[in-house]
Amino acid sequence: MHRKFVTFIASLGAMAAFAIAAPATAQERTVKITGFGAKSGVVRVFGINSEAAMKAAAEEINKAGGVTLGDGSKAKLAVEFLDDRCNAEEGISVVRRIASSDAFVAVGPTCSNVAESLFGILQKKVGDTSDSGLQFPIIADVAAKGGLAKISEWSFRNVPSEFEMYKSLMGWVRSQHPDLKTIYGGVEKDFAHSNATYGVMKGQAEANGLQVVGTAEWLLNDTTFSTQVRDMKRANADIVAISAHPFTTCGVLKEMERQGVKPKLLIGLTSSSSIETLQGCAKQAEGMIIPTSFAPVTPEAKQAAENVAKFGGSADLHSAAAYEIMFILKDVIEQQKIMAKPDTVQGDRNKMREGLAALKETNGLLGKVGRTADREAIKPFLYVHAKGGSWEVLHKPSS
Amino acid sequence: MNLLDVIDAVQSLADGVLFGATYALLGIGFTLVFGVMHKINLSFAAASIGAAYASLLILSVIKAPAVVVFLMAAVAGGGLGAIVYLVGFKFIPLANPLATLMSTVGLLLLIDEIVVHTTAGVPLNYPALFSDVIIRAGPFNIRGDLVFVFLLGCVCMVVLLFLIYRTNLGIATRAVSQQSTAAQLCGISITRVNVLTFVVTGVIGGIAGAMTGAAIGMLSPLLSLPLTVKGLIVTVIGGLGSIPGAIIAGLLVGGLENVLQFFRGVSERDLYIMLLLFAFLVFRPGGIFAIAHGRD
Repeated sequence: MHRKFVTFIASLGAMAAFAIAAPATAQERTVKITGFGAKSGVVRVFGINSEAAMKAAAEEINKAGGVTLGDGSKAKLAVEFLDDRCNAEEGISVVRRIASSDAFVAVGPTCSNVAESLFGILQKKVGDTSDSGLQFPIIADVAAKGGLAKISEWSFRNVPSEFEMYKSLMGWVRSQHPDLKTIYGGVEKDFAHSNATYGVMKGQAEANGLQVVGTAEWLLNDTTFSTQVRDMKRANADIVAISAHPFTTCGVLKEMERQGVKPKLLIGLTSSSSIETLQGCAKQAEGMIIPTSFAPVTPEAKQAAENVAKFGGSADLHSAAAYEIMFILKDVIEQQKIMAKPDTVQGDRNKMREGLAALKETNGLLGKVGRTADREAIKPFLYVHAKGGSWEVLHKPSS
Repeated sequence: MNLLDVIDAVQSLADGVLFGATYALLGIGFTLVFGVMHKINLSFAAASIGAAYASLLILSVIKAPAVVVFLMAAVAGGGLGAIVYLVGFKFIPLANPLATLMSTVGLLLLIDEIVVHTTAGVPLNYPALFSDVIIRAGPFNIRGDLVFVFLLGCVCMVVLLFLIYRTNLGIATRAVSQQSTAAQLCGISITRVNVLTFVVTGVIGGIAGAMTGAAIGMLSPLLSLPLTVKGLIVTVIGGLGSIPGAIIAGLLVGGLENVLQFFRGVSERDLYIMLLLFAFLVFRPGGIFAIAHGRD
């Protein structure tokens, strides 16, 4: 009897302790940051990496105490990631869903075609009462096609400027290899990013005195490249620049090997400086030079790469941008005193937009990142080349 | 047009015809199912690529030679064929032609998405045989691996024709195809014939998937949709239900695709292939080997 009584009292005590502790737990606030991008379809790996990077960064921030909100309270960051299937309609639908919640910012998308359409539904000019567009800040981590943030004052990007990268790379090639005079291009014609970047590559090659002797075109899901590579072989250019994603880049490189096309220099698309290219055709890609805004060369970048791997992703120039964005958002939340409460949603969105627009410089994994008036990033970059099955740093333009 | 252009055009044609063997195999798969069940299996190309992906699993266990990987693809293709029949046909009302069409579209997307989720959409290396061999004939270079793909395709076609015209299974298949009720009255099990047809076409699909991977040197989920389209085009041009038609149409489409790529470029290439498809649908709906009694 006595033992039963003691157990009863102990149970009551435990319940009371739980009841006291519960309000304290409820007071610990959580701010949800929603990311979105392709988590299905052939670009699924981009979504996986972005989500892992955002979660890894959130964990780092939370370990350091979380984020301080406008009322002085501390909050932990939580990440939710939605799938837009790299489809413009689904991207718009996903963002409308996010915007109908308490979210005050969204991070994404993966694909430039989604970003282009999506930024189009945002209010063009802040304060324009005649524009019924969505008043919701979005900051892109992956969508790389040039100039997309110009579309709306609510759209921001933390992606590298491919114009600056290829301008620098072509200049470097010219100075380091003055004997190389001609260049032949290959482009994945039906992919917005590849196509736009090829325009940049070609323009910068010409601007640096290289003669463009031909261009081969193919489609994203083409299976044979023999005709294009034969044309490439006939052109016999010193440099071959390929603006395509890993699947067709590897297809073309393998066909080049079969036909014995050996340019003196091989240049690739930024997005191909990833593990997919090496998984598909490490041997054929040997020596390929690509400018990238991420490589684990600084202590911060090394740490980020390890953290992202822990969440099942891979750190590359795209996911590294997502990682950086989380720290940018933390800073803006604190600077703008964002409340993150259900009754301050639109106010918080306005503050977030103002905070992001006011940024002149942010901290990146490779160093300081400049911000432009049209809401784009000027990111430090370096050149990597494929060597022995991995990407190694070839040159740091700033050094 | 100078001599070099002529050489390149002929070379493009040769490359395309050799690669067209994979289209022919896919066309045979489509046409065989249609011949027996009068249904289109839209998931066939996706299952073929799925089988090729499945065959790579063996490489994660042992360092198998390319031939073993190809055999695994054929086995996986047969298994997937049976699954496709069970999921997409067995329990679907066959009297409604749209029901199986939609179920196979669903299966196409399902198989594709399973591949994407398993591999994160990352392209994977696929082994090839004779990839280092280049047969030189004057100014022309013939890829050894494509010749192998072509010859294997031919062997598959011969085996299949033997199976259909020289075995009991073939007789049963043709009987079900021509008059299923009479075939049943003769004691032929329709379900058994259907399952075996799907397994056999699955094996061919697995080989087609493996040969596609070997010819490109890689596998990607990106391949499913274009190969489905190519398979359907080949089936229509070859004539629904005609195996010799599928073979000739596959080689024709492969060759034309490359020649058009050479002369008109990538932006117009598919346009002409589609025009060819419409021309057949309008002027020769029975396909290449149709008896010329006009449109039915």
